[in-house]
Amino acid sequence: MTLPVWRRRQDEELAEELATHLRMAIADRVARGEDPEEAARAARLEFGNVSVIRETTREVWGWTAIEQLAQDVRYACRTLRRAPGFTLVAVITLALGIGANSAMFSVINAVLLRPLPFPSPDALVAVSGVDHRRAAGSVSLSASWPDFFDWRSKSTSFEHLSAYRDGSFTLAGGDRPLHITGAVVSSELLSTLGVQPVLGRGFRLEDETGGDVVVISDSLWRSQFAAAPDVVGRTVVLNARPFTIIGVMPAAFNFPIKVPPAQAWIAAAEDARVEHPDDTPMTAQRGAHLLKVIGRLRPSATVASAQADLDVINAALAREFPVDNAGRGVRVLPQLDVLVGDTRESLLVLLAAVGCLLLIACVNLANLLLARGAGRSREIAMRVALGASARRIVRQLLTESLVLATLGTACGLALAYGSIAVLGRWLPVQVRGLDQVAIDATVLAFTAGAAIVSALAFGLVPALQAARTDPALGSQGGSRTTSGRAQRRLRGALVIAETAVGVVLLVGAGLLLRSFDRLTRTHPGFDADHVLTANFVVPDSRYTYLEQVAFYDGVLADLGALPDVEAVAATAPLPLSGSNFTISFEQEGAVSRVDRESAGFGIVSPGYFRAMHIPLLSGRDFSEADNDAAPRVVVINESFARRYFPDVDPIGRRFKPGLATTEKDTPWREVVGVVGDIRHRSLAEPTSPAYFVPYAQGLITSLRLVIRTRNTTGMADSVRKVMAGRDPEIALYDVKTMEEYLTTSVASPRFQTLLLALFAGLGLALTVVGLYGVMAYGVAQRTREFGIRLALGARPGEVLGLVMRGGLALVAIGLAAGIVAAMFATRLLAGALYGVNRLDPATFGGVAAVLLAAGMLASYLPARRATRVDPIGALRSE
Amino acid sequence: MTKLRRHENRIELLQGTLDLLILQTLQWGPQHGYGISQAIRLHSSEILQVDTGSLYPAMHRLERQKWIRAEWKLSENNQRARVYQLTAAGRKQLVAARSRWTQLSEAIAGILDRPGASEA
Repeated sequence: MTLPVWRRRQDEELAEELATHLRMAIADRVARGEDPEEAARAARLEFGNVSVIRETTREVWGWTAIEQLAQDVRYACRTLRRAPGFTLVAVITLALGIGANSAMFSVINAVLLRPLPFPSPDALVAVSGVDHRRAAGSVSLSASWPDFFDWRSKSTSFEHLSAYRDGSFTLAGGDRPLHITGAVVSSELLSTLGVQPVLGRGFRLEDETGGDVVVISDSLWRSQFAAAPDVVGRTVVLNARPFTIIGVMPAAFNFPIKVPPAQAWIAAAEDARVEHPDDTPMTAQRGAHLLKVIGRLRPSATVASAQADLDVINAALAREFPVDNAGRGVRVLPQLDVLVGDTRESLLVLLAAVGCLLLIACVNLANLLLARGAGRSREIAMRVALGASARRIVRQLLTESLVLATLGTACGLALAYGSIAVLGRWLPVQVRGLDQVAIDATVLAFTAGAAIVSALAFGLVPALQAARTDPALGSQGGSRTTSGRAQRRLRGALVIAETAVGVVLLVGAGLLLRSFDRLTRTHPGFDADHVLTANFVVPDSRYTYLEQVAFYDGVLADLGALPDVEAVAATAPLPLSGSNFTISFEQEGAVSRVDRESAGFGIVSPGYFRAMHIPLLSGRDFSEADNDAAPRVVVINESFARRYFPDVDPIGRRFKPGLATTEKDTPWREVVGVVGDIRHRSLAEPTSPAYFVPYAQGLITSLRLVIRTRNTTGMADSVRKVMAGRDPEIALYDVKTMEEYLTTSVASPRFQTLLLALFAGLGLALTVVGLYGVMAYGVAQRTREFGIRLALGARPGEVLGLVMRGGLALVAIGLAAGIVAAMFATRLLAGALYGVNRLDPATFGGVAAVLLAAGMLASYLPARRATRVDPIGALRSE
Repeated sequence: MTKLRRHENRIELLQGTLDLLILQTLQWGPQHGYGISQAIRLHSSEILQVDTGSLYPAMHRLERQKWIRAEWKLSENNQRARVYQLTAAGRKQLVAARSRWTQLSEAIAGILDRPGASEA
């Protein structure tokens, strides 16, 4: 017999103790005058069989808890090995349930739970400007420089408060111009985040007003400067202007958090610059809301106190600057919440879905175990008769459940690991953390917890049931009588419960599928097919305003001459690219400037609407004649026309857009055309009023090229050649088709729909398997009854109907309960649905039909078996 | 196999009584296994011969019940021996077991001493 390590020492000591006893006995006999050899023989005889004594003594040591557990585990493994079919079904069921939960939780862990990668991340808050006059939901998450400066100087809640905006730069000096993304930041951004450069210094307050300085990323330092230790102090050319490198950030630094990470940060001085001495710099335009603001709260401050603090400051600003600030408020939110955004809701829906899946898996297993318990009642009765306590039986059976759960969890983790790799391709990477989904310690802990909870959930009731076994059954043969009506009712209730949960899952998935179908069928208002887009920046430092216009003219002409090009145009912002401009305007006859309305805004080239296949509804498109010397004109979309010119023909009407940066005056513009609405931000967002100006009359930012071509694949290189011919210093970037933007814009809903559909499919499969198991077991138990019925002349069709009615009754009750539950549960989904009511009758009806069909199938097979019972055999077997 | 059965029978036979004898012996002072068996033999005028196959399981059971405690010590003739002694719980158990034994023997004596009992 092999003993565990901790027992071996005890056993050796016992051997020594017995040997001592024997030696003492011999010594006593010798002392009494016996011959030593004779004494040894006699003492041994008197002593008895040493190994038997050791054996009997060891028995009284009893078993420690660990040894008992080991014993139970060994026993459980043996039992499970003897029932490979049951074990396989149970392990697969659990692997699906637990694997889905681990995978989903690892996503939630990466996106929602993992803190921001900065020191004391909980103190970081986002401060967002909001416009109370705009409809709820269209919250503008931005602030202007002057507002930010006031918040920074007057608020008392922050250790540091800093503003930033995305920037994109062309880095010259390499083999060819390199486009890099970065940010324009206020001086204390790095202090706010609590990260300092590894080389050089961070920004200082004086950097906000002068001296062009840049902090670069670790990767830029390595790729462009060969990790030179003396890089600080060198000059680089960004957007055709010299900047002095003052610092290099650590490799892990990523802010603003995005993929791919920012490469360079320049100070607010960038926005304090003007091209023309009469222009107003961005830093002085209170109405230019282009910043995001992040703050680090003082230890004494909370989100609420900071909100109150800023509310007071903002109210004063609104009184002081009514034109720009009336109706503007501010919202302070934890930075993590802002980054997570509405991803939280969809992830929690998915987590609820996998929870349902695990619930179904557990119900299935409980059912399997109950059936198995009934089959094993003889074995258990025998153990009870041999003196096993009820507690011991429960513990033994729970151990079996735990072993199953462990096996299932191991397979589930493998499944989760694999599915994360596969899902990686479907994940919408714009969401923070989705690029870092992994099975880490937190996920493992969650999985272990889920495994233990499930083992208890599916194991406890069957174990308690089994422990009540009457020991007298052990000697009697039958296992047929043990499953009484109560147990059958319990198993029926379990089937009803799992059907109901399955219905909720299916309804959720059905709604999302229909919604996604609607979404992808939504016409964006333009034709994305065979359209290539590209971006580049014409540096202000080398091109004056009019030169820039001429540059675009030239590039568009060159591109238009390329073979395969059907139409070419330029626009800013590009639809579905994530960029959106909103500019206020003044209507004719408006009472005061405070009442100005805002609408979407675009700068386009003549021919843009034609190139994008956006219909011209009335009036005319822009033409080359609408240049800087011509009268100012504007084209509006359908929504704009309906909203602001409801009863009149808008053509020939005028309004005054607040475009102040490039023109000293903001002239009235005449509406010359009306075009169709397009989905600008996303397919799901309703269209809204927007107006467009020709770039020759209002170029305030760089434009995107839009090329409609018969051949998108080969076009990128031709475009690059054209650009290099015009200006080799300018980098072309974001060369993507319009189709790609369309795909990206539906990536999140597609991800959610795909996963929920997958979970619901698994749930349905498990429900059907569970129902089938219960039905098959019920038929097996009632073999004798069916035999008698058939012997008494029941026709097979009647028996078939009897069994199927029983099964369908369970499904019908579960279906009814599930539909009621789904009517409440779909509230969670309401925000994710597009064009589908959450109580959509077609979805509910479809789910009911699918479930009834599945229920028919699951009952038909066992029912058919019931009709084939051999009456004689069934009666004889008793 | 028969030998094992014999031991098991003995354990059953002496269960309780042997425990009482061991606890009583240890009340006179710490003692090793051989010492306990010799003491029981001597004090019972060689009538009670304790079987080692019963003694050691009994002592280990008492130890597990924490009525006695064991440690390795050097005996009078420099032998390493496992020496047992009573614990506080063991002393209490001894008192309880003694009174139960007294009750039991009085009860048995009462039955045996009834007039006519010997003729039955």
